[in-house]
Amino acid sequence: MTATIISNLPVFVVIAPLFVAFVLSTFARRIRLVESLVIAVLALGVLGAGYLASLVLMQNGIPITYSMGGWPAPWGIELVAGSLSAFFLLLVSGVSLPVALFTVANMTHEVGGSVRTTRFYVLYLLLAGALAGMAVTNDLFNVFVLVEVATLSCCGLVSACKHPRAAEAAFNYLILATLGSALILGGIGFLYIITGHLNMGFASMELCRIWQDYPHVVWIAGGFLLVGFGVKSALFPLHVWLPDAHSTAPSPASAILSGLAVKGYMICFIKVLYNVFGATLIQEFALDRILSLLGMVAIIAGSLFAVAQDELKRRLAFSTVAQVGYVFLGLGQVNVCSLTGTLFHIASHAVIKSGLFLAAGAIIAATGKTRISEMAGIGGRMPITMAAFTIGSLGMVGIPLFSGFIGKWHLLSGSLTAGSTLAPLVIVIGSVLAAAYLFPIIRTAYFEQAQATDGQDPGAPQRIALILLAAGVVILGVAPGPFLELASRAAVELLAIK
Amino acid sequence: MIDLVLALLSGAVGGLIIAFMPQCGSRLRNVVALSSSAAGAIFSWRVAGAVLAGRTIRIAGTNGGLAWSLHPDPLGVVFALIASTLWLFAAVYSFGYMAGEERQRTYYTYFLLALSVTLGVAFSGNLVSLYLFYELLTLVTYPLVIHERTEEAMKAGTKYIVYSLSGAGAILIAIVITYSLTGNLDFGGGALLADVSPGPGLGWALALFVAGFGVKAAVIPLHRWLPQAMVAPTPISALLHAVAVVYSGVYGILRVVYSVFGHELIGQLGFSHILPWIAAFTILVGVIIATQQDVLKRRLAYHTISQLSYILLGAFTLHPWGLAGAILHMISYSTLKVTLFFGAGIIAKQTGKVNVSEMSGVGRQLPGTLTAFGIASLGMIGMMPLNTFWSKYYLMKGSVAWGKSPLALVLIVSGIINAFCFIPTVVTAFTGEMRQPVANKERDARLMLVPTLLLAGIALLIGLCPGLVWPGVDAVINRFF
Amino acid sequence: MKTLLDKLIINYPYFAAVILFLIGAFTVLTRSNLFKKLIGINIMESAIFLMFIAAGNIRGGAVPILCQSNPEALYINPVPSALMLTGIVVSVSVTAFALALIIRLYQSYGTTDARRIAEMKREVT
Repeated sequence: MTATIISNLPVFVVIAPLFVAFVLSTFARRIRLVESLVIAVLALGVLGAGYLASLVLMQNGIPITYSMGGWPAPWGIELVAGSLSAFFLLLVSGVSLPVALFTVANMTHEVGGSVRTTRFYVLYLLLAGALAGMAVTNDLFNVFVLVEVATLSCCGLVSACKHPRAAEAAFNYLILATLGSALILGGIGFLYIITGHLNMGFASMELCRIWQDYPHVVWIAGGFLLVGFGVKSALFPLHVWLPDAHSTAPSPASAILSGLAVKGYMICFIKVLYNVFGATLIQEFALDRILSLLGMVAIIAGSLFAVAQDELKRRLAFSTVAQVGYVFLGLGQVNVCSLTGTLFHIASHAVIKSGLFLAAGAIIAATGKTRISEMAGIGGRMPITMAAFTIGSLGMVGIPLFSGFIGKWHLLSGSLTAGSTLAPLVIVIGSVLAAAYLFPIIRTAYFEQAQATDGQDPGAPQRIALILLAAGVVILGVAPGPFLELASRAAVELLAIK
Repeated sequence: MIDLVLALLSGAVGGLIIAFMPQCGSRLRNVVALSSSAAGAIFSWRVAGAVLAGRTIRIAGTNGGLAWSLHPDPLGVVFALIASTLWLFAAVYSFGYMAGEERQRTYYTYFLLALSVTLGVAFSGNLVSLYLFYELLTLVTYPLVIHERTEEAMKAGTKYIVYSLSGAGAILIAIVITYSLTGNLDFGGGALLADVSPGPGLGWALALFVAGFGVKAAVIPLHRWLPQAMVAPTPISALLHAVAVVYSGVYGILRVVYSVFGHELIGQLGFSHILPWIAAFTILVGVIIATQQDVLKRRLAYHTISQLSYILLGAFTLHPWGLAGAILHMISYSTLKVTLFFGAGIIAKQTGKVNVSEMSGVGRQLPGTLTAFGIASLGMIGMMPLNTFWSKYYLMKGSVAWGKSPLALVLIVSGIINAFCFIPTVVTAFTGEMRQPVANKERDARLMLVPTLLLAGIALLIGLCPGLVWPGVDAVINRFF
Repeated sequence: MKTLLDKLIINYPYFAAVILFLIGAFTVLTRSNLFKKLIGINIMESAIFLMFIAAGNIRGGAVPILCQSNPEALYINPVPSALMLTGIVVSVSVTAFALALIIRLYQSYGTTDARRIAEMKREVT
């Protein structure tokens, strides 16, 4: 029994939300049931991911492999749950549950009636399933399919608001994201043409043997994948779709988009980069230098744009652009410490940013104000919301005891090990700029004289969601133990592939 | 062990009690504030007694691959004693000064939280803990800087936080460099980098450390936040911007020089020979700018900048006498400067006068205040019966012993300029004509006056029997040489 | 020169794919009409499909169905074609979704021109 559960766990965590997503529309009129089903399946996901993670931690690096349809590896499709997968699964389930909790009895004013809300949940679960799939997949074409499922559900979530601006943002997002998907598919095509494999492990072995014969094709494939995933994960200057999309979406959708969806594409990119190309080829083709350069530009540019925004959700959206830069910067320093930092930063940013967006959503819902300059004194009226926001901000800036610090510490120490002098400087400047765009919000909220008196903390489920995410920031900062362990093992495994 | 935890917690607990206390009268709040400051001071003294008696107190742990540790050593306890003792005086002074002010709850909450964090800086046993508390200190003192909530205060607050966070960023890079060179960040043993051969990495680390801590130590040209931060209420200016916050920077530099690099290694780095001159430059320029200021608190701020570099100068001589001077100056200067600030605060509260040019005749209205102010002014020159005489004596002795006699000259010149800085003010305050007599604001000034006079008395006492503080100084020197 | 020409002629599906891709990308990025953008996306995706299928093709190869009479026959690789079926499905859903969004935009702005929509939005704010 246990053995069956274990061997089927990797596919179960993907299938369960997808299945519920399809069933959901039949209960469209009974919104309470829909909500409880969503929460139940996501809670199940947390349990499954937690169990999987503990198994992976106990098995000391031997991944759990699942062959779809019983066909073994080069022919069939493989799902592999190693440290990286367990890490990301834990993150996906751990963040999507509180965000879903925030939506309970809270979506109608932004989305509409119960049928529309049900559709929102369908898309939400599809996205969660796709992200879980990205964590475990070991097949290049599956990466493309999952990326597309995620993209379409993201676009759907963005357009869930009735506002016409949302439709426009969703359309722009859709066009650019499809362009990115086409590039990703092209890149995968080139890899398939020269290696003859879609399974990452086999493709990597083959690529290692023959790359010297086809250097140009490898270059083109790498370039296609970089630009494709760059568009998807909003790497500056390919981020143009993000600020509109993430600021017009309903707040829980913004939270999941900025917090998790962008991270899903990054995990796919990390897999393609490190599991297929491998560390040797990354350095051979100078991808490391390109990545870290792009990352540094993104950190500085994204932060500066963020400082200039007055609309709260747009500021947070640009902050995502900046934080994406850290991930690319870390990917460009090919060593264990940096990769650990990168993965941990992905996790900490996912928790922080979804918390920040939810807090922003609560403020906007309670007061109707979207601009930071109008939020004077909100801290006194919405104490829990602003406390969660403050904790998230401290984490983002990288104050010790909060999650952001651990990621930044590893990134700094990794980039110093890699011998870079510019990267540490950019990381630190990025932190100061993060303070520059987040602390004024806190200052306005707590220390400026209030003119308005409206607004109060949201309902119980929303408060629990905010508290859970804020607690996540603190726990990841104070006792990151198993999570950091998973990240560092994943980093070691990624670098072990030659 | 338990003393250490209690010392650290007393301020935080008091602060949180005040923050979450339901609406109440100021009397109960003052009792909480006083008792938690007093607890902080008492437990710090107990910790200090234990450490100076040679016992080891250490609490340490790791999380997420980062070790943290609380491990007071003589240097740490000297800082902790200065801070916690003066906190007690500042708390009493605050009761008088803040009476009737708005936002007292916020004020006392952060005032007490800052005590805990400052003691955390002092008791840190490794660089990670030091960095943690150093960052937190910025955050918990920010609300105190912007207490007035005016536009000027907000601007000052922003400047303060930007300067401090940038400095902390530099420190973080330097810590990571240190970590990558040694893999150990503990102050417990000898100097961290003692076994590392001099190289460019070390030079960078030292430069980043000094620049980072130099922000809070207000080394020119990183000082600009300090004069602006004077918009804070006077007890805050006195305590934080003359003692706790700026000393955390100074303390950080002392740590870096003696615990991270060690005086032997630092002497081999070319950069270290520039450092005393940066300090000397700050000493002279700071005090010269101070004489140009008309607003009394701004004058005191620039004067602080100058005096802090006395301590740095002593530290950079890398000589036992110089270090002794630095530690003595840390102790003596803080008592005198807090007296000066307290005096300035009483003058401002009682007469509404904030400019030096308006001070003539104030002395007859506030004789006690101006007496204390005068004693402290004499101390700033380094006059014989006051405690700073001894610190300056050792600083000069250290400079000469190190073979840099021009530095001793700098100290003498600075002393003379110091005389111009405050003495004429005090003299005209007693003898000058009262230009526009201001009615006494009928405020109970005893709560403000008593701590001021007491501190002046303590300064005099230490000056007369420097042996009182010598055990601490001696322990620090024995620890590092 | 002759070899280059030979390469071009032999690999013509790939070059066709590249040209189609460029046409598609150009259309997406330069046209402001939403429908034309969408058509550009479709052309781009077709280019990728063409590339994949051409990669699986073997000239003169047999249909990949196991045949008892000639088991040694050279088969066309069926995997890329199978993959592209999925790709086409994805592409169709993207198109459908985009069309739905265009309808919504037309309903609220009365135009399908991206530039005019942007102008109207700016006027509102």
